[in-house]
Amino acid sequence: MPLTSSPAPTEHMGLPLPTSPAAQAPAPAAVASKAVAEEELPPLPLDLVAGLLSYLIPGLGQVYQGRIGKGLLFFGGLYLLFFYGMWMGQWQNVWLPDATDLPDVEIVGQRLPGMAKAFSYRPQFLGQMWIGTAAWPALAQYAYFDKDRKVLPVFGAFQRTPTEDELNALQRDGNKRWDLGWVYTVIAGVLNLLVIYDAVAGPMFREPQPGLRKRGGEDATW
Amino acid sequence: MIPALFGFSIYWDLPVLLVVVSLVYAATRHDRWDKILREGFGWGVRIALFLSAIGLGLYLISTYI
Repeated sequence: MPLTSSPAPTEHMGLPLPTSPAAQAPAPAAVASKAVAEEELPPLPLDLVAGLLSYLIPGLGQVYQGRIGKGLLFFGGLYLLFFYGMWMGQWQNVWLPDATDLPDVEIVGQRLPGMAKAFSYRPQFLGQMWIGTAAWPALAQYAYFDKDRKVLPVFGAFQRTPTEDELNALQRDGNKRWDLGWVYTVIAGVLNLLVIYDAVAGPMFREPQPGLRKRGGEDATW
Repeated sequence: MIPALFGFSIYWDLPVLLVVVSLVYAATRHDRWDKILREGFGWGVRIALFLSAIGLGLYLISTYI
């Protein structure tokens, strides 16, 4: 009677038997392909120029790197969110106030100077400002604020600090949309921080993509 | 709650936020469009479910408590 090999038992008395280390290890081909993939993705040099461009205009750094589609997605998405939020707030929810006449603010015994004091009265702008040039009119309005002049030569009243009466009217008559609007603008600004990071250091999960702009003398491997 | 949803309501502003946040966040994690769209869709569904659960909870509280 010929001997036949029977399959190895996988359980004993209803309990699974431990498998051999050889059975637990990944297939050699998988290990090899993973090693090759890791070899193809050396660390990226930080692209500070692209980061600066993506700060100025969302997605511009990605376009500069050759990632046109993603750049346009960031540009369209973040500007849509930012200006939609401004529209919800009747274009009066992005500003940095002139705080010279406002009471002093102290943090851990230190009196906040100039712009830091202004930020303490409008902390929303700490998030909004990361949208880049779209929030620069607020900085110009802050720098050249004049109580007696209602408008600036270039920007007019765009992103100018509203008067107290205007603020009261917006919150009273805005059906909560004024408040929701500034939340949208803050989210757009903070999301652009992720976009800037993507421009500087690449996406979280990189894959080889031939044909992109060379960086640091190496093929781009986003 | 239902009439409020179909009238002039801040709820109509939420899809813009949901779509942009989902796609932009997914695009900062991947470069391939199929992965961006797949992960963006997943985030959109999760955010929508999260907001719906909160909305339902608030509705139940305001109606029955």
